[in-house]
Amino acid sequence: MKNYIKRRSLLKTAAAASLSSLFPMKYSLSNDALNGKTLVVLELSGGNDGLNTIVPYGDDNYYKYRPNIGIKEKDLLKIDDYFGFNPGITGLESLYKEGNMAIIHGCGYDNPSFSHFTSMAYMHTAAPNSGEEFGWLGRLADNMAPASYKNFLINVDKTQSLAVRSQKHIPIVFDHPQRFQREGFHEQKPILESVIYNKDERNNNSAQNFLNEIANSAKESSNIISEAWSNYTRQVDYGLAPVDLNKIAALIEANVPARLYYTSFRDNAFDTHVHQPNLHKRLLTYASDAIRGFMHDLDRMGKSEDVVLLVMTEFGRRVPENTSLGTDHGAAGPMFIIGSSVKGGHYGKIPDLVNGLDDGDNLKYTTDFRSVYATIIDQWLQVDSKNILRKNFQTFNIFDRTV
Amino acid sequence: MSKKVLKGIIFILFVSSFLSLKVISKETSNWENNISPLLSTDWTISKAEHLLGRAGFGGNPEEVLFIYKLGPKKAVEYLVYYENISTSHMPDFNESDIHDPGLVNFPPSRPATTKLAKENGEALGIKVKKSGNRKMQPIVNKFFFWLRASKLETQRVSYWWANRMLNSPRPLEEKMTLFWHNHFANNESKIRDYRKLLLQNKTFRLHATGNFKSLLVATAKDPAMLYFLDAGQNVKGAPNENFAREIMELFTLGVGNYEEKDIREAARAFTGWDTNDLEFIVNKDKHDSNKKTILGHTGNFTGEEVIDILLSHDAAAKFIVEKIYKEFVNEYIDSDIINQYAEILKSNNYELKPLLKAIFLSKDFYSQRNMGSHIKSPVELVISTYKKLGLNNTPGIPDFNQSTAAMGQTLFWPPTVAGWAGGRSWITPALLMERGNFARSFLYPDIDFIGEDFYSPDPKIIIMHNAIKKGADITSATKSSNGGESMMMAESNMMSDRDEDFNTRYASYRGWQMAVSKVKPIPRFAAEINFTKMVIESGAHSTDDAVDYLINRFLTVKIDNDKRKMLIKFLEENLGTDNIKNAESYLEDSLRLVVHLIMSQPEYQLG
Repeated sequence: MKNYIKRRSLLKTAAAASLSSLFPMKYSLSNDALNGKTLVVLELSGGNDGLNTIVPYGDDNYYKYRPNIGIKEKDLLKIDDYFGFNPGITGLESLYKEGNMAIIHGCGYDNPSFSHFTSMAYMHTAAPNSGEEFGWLGRLADNMAPASYKNFLINVDKTQSLAVRSQKHIPIVFDHPQRFQREGFHEQKPILESVIYNKDERNNNSAQNFLNEIANSAKESSNIISEAWSNYTRQVDYGLAPVDLNKIAALIEANVPARLYYTSFRDNAFDTHVHQPNLHKRLLTYASDAIRGFMHDLDRMGKSEDVVLLVMTEFGRRVPENTSLGTDHGAAGPMFIIGSSVKGGHYGKIPDLVNGLDDGDNLKYTTDFRSVYATIIDQWLQVDSKNILRKNFQTFNIFDRTV
Repeated sequence: MSKKVLKGIIFILFVSSFLSLKVISKETSNWENNISPLLSTDWTISKAEHLLGRAGFGGNPEEVLFIYKLGPKKAVEYLVYYENISTSHMPDFNESDIHDPGLVNFPPSRPATTKLAKENGEALGIKVKKSGNRKMQPIVNKFFFWLRASKLETQRVSYWWANRMLNSPRPLEEKMTLFWHNHFANNESKIRDYRKLLLQNKTFRLHATGNFKSLLVATAKDPAMLYFLDAGQNVKGAPNENFAREIMELFTLGVGNYEEKDIREAARAFTGWDTNDLEFIVNKDKHDSNKKTILGHTGNFTGEEVIDILLSHDAAAKFIVEKIYKEFVNEYIDSDIINQYAEILKSNNYELKPLLKAIFLSKDFYSQRNMGSHIKSPVELVISTYKKLGLNNTPGIPDFNQSTAAMGQTLFWPPTVAGWAGGRSWITPALLMERGNFARSFLYPDIDFIGEDFYSPDPKIIIMHNAIKKGADITSATKSSNGGESMMMAESNMMSDRDEDFNTRYASYRGWQMAVSKVKPIPRFAAEINFTKMVIESGAHSTDDAVDYLINRFLTVKIDNDKRKMLIKFLEENLGTDNIKNAESYLEDSLRLVVHLIMSQPEYQLG
């Protein structure tokens, strides 16, 4: 049996050393670039309804705007005399009550887009209305680790998210870790695994070079991922839909060299235009169960101090309900940072349901979402956020548990 | 001409085209963005292969030769103006008998179904039991039956469509049908009715290369689309913006060419549009016939008039052309050529054939930048592979849907209303490996294959099945066991069985059984391919010849010569000789290994 506590302290004091023994030479890295902290981002795609997630039951205006889908005070999981959690998220409620969940209110940006795809691209690039080509995690990876550091950035999904698009790094993108390998006869292996770029320039093209680069990345990561997964046994309950957080837990447990992970609750699931209440509650329950399971899993492996989870979405939903028992695309909404290193509680100005609405009845933002990113970049990963976000943003003291 | 001689000619043409490509490449570089037609003197077999690959799903050497012999102009016309080519020999979809009137207006969720049953004493055409245990169990069983049956039947529609793509003598018709499925991307998991998706597929095929405006109107009135974008919820006084937003953002104009208020006003014009099961209807009393202002136009517009307004916008033709160009020519575009093609589309009143003809005949289309630059979608990869192999039936093992799904694409289940992003987004390290694994899966079929159409992929259902078979009561057979014993159970697991009127888990299991009993099976046969015959008939003498033949047959973009040498050495070692004739009696397995290696190359993804 492994001694988790012993391993944990070992890791903390000698992260770089243990990594270089596992991955000689090319993975060795200075301590500056690697403080041992890991960031996991969970995207709730489709535009999560923040008002029905963290419900301001203390404000009568909430019920005026939402006479049918507003969640009644008696049904809520109250956290104080103003806010109650959606009744489906007892997992998050327990994390909040343990002091491990920070709620950052009113996150958004200027001139909000109501298109899923545009707004999500802004969240991914952390550069609204700019046409930025690379993702914020991609730029972070470029800043934190040289291109020679392989497998720094992992995206669990079918297709690659813009958030991890990087100039120097090729993110490892996979969906099923058990399938993340080439099948073939033993004698085929040398050719299956060899990557040879076409040296005849008259006869190649950029798509071909791109494919060869991906093939190279696949070769360098597939053993690490599939071994990590086969060595992992799920020992905690992640609920009915683990949202891939169990896969990330497997990789973290295996000490893969990645420090940035990205995954999503996929396929625009949170786009609740019609018959919202049951559906939204169920989606939130899945996400909340998975998050609590992930946190318990990190505790089990003694790594809860080394990982934080950011939960985000592309936009909140319109404040007044629509006539289909649902909500349409809106603007600002809350973001969450969860982990044992987090000082739980409320951050950011709570949006005002009377004066805080724009002409289209959407919440005006009170916190630039990049403040949340900057907080994580500066305080958790200890990288200068100005280098990633192009300018300085206000940060919150979310990781200072001594205060 | 004897068949053998013909094959020899094809081989020579292929090899010579491979060699001549390097010479030609310099001349073609100034063809970029040049929309003037290709001259017949510039026509080569590799250009014919390029045309058939893009305007269709490629072909075997005989099919490429047929296109080559037509010359560029006739070849393009043959592919674009296909009306006179009969498809009557292609079978219609053979439906399973799974739908009944009780399933019309299928409720949006299980809770909605049981609520309906409680209120009305029946739902889905089944009455609530008068007394006894689990009074609503048959209703909930039927709810899950339909979820599974519609899903399985939709997978059969995909399989049927795959065979059309493989065999249709009008390849562009199927290619454009696929294109429109991605443009107007509807998903079965919301629609939950294969009949609507089949109808929509037929609508896309009918208008595949017709008039874009007619297609747009037909799609706006299509039951699947109406349901998918919540038309029934869009009523006078309380418009639902979902369709109005997507028709501007994704179907006609693109972000930045309209304001939020245009969406709100357009939604009012579409109020009252709805379906009566499989028919389009307008609920006049729910239609808002008051004045609207959309993109600067003011009037008492109907939905059709809004479509007119959208297509009169400057951005519309460019938006459609850009999307077609990205799919058929290159994902990287130059606005100059897009503008030229947009003029062609507009001056032809949104007729698609003149545009497609211009694109496929242009020098730009055949420029070095654009040949071999396209990353195939998983569906294209599978179909073009089977075509190159000369198959005329999509194998049942591997399963078509499972193969494409593993590579990131499931027909009728696009990830979002924006469809599949395409281009480089098809490729991640995992998906690239899956593409090689796909090749292996038809070269070496799984002998323990069980299709999803008679086997639940959920292991919990199997555990339940075994417990019930042994006489366990339903409550204990369906008890959840997930996670360690000492752990608290997750909320979603605790909640799943809380209503005594029915047992959800049992219904899920029983619904599965009912579905697999009623949905017709997909035929499960493996691909029959004879590589020995293929290689011998090509006239190959040495392992060099054999490898070159396979490379030329399967790869549009060639691998580096060092890789080619590795393959030759591999084949030679595997055969114990470099003489093909001497090894003829045991050639097959070694050739399969080489074909798998070729199809695992990054270059195999390109066309």
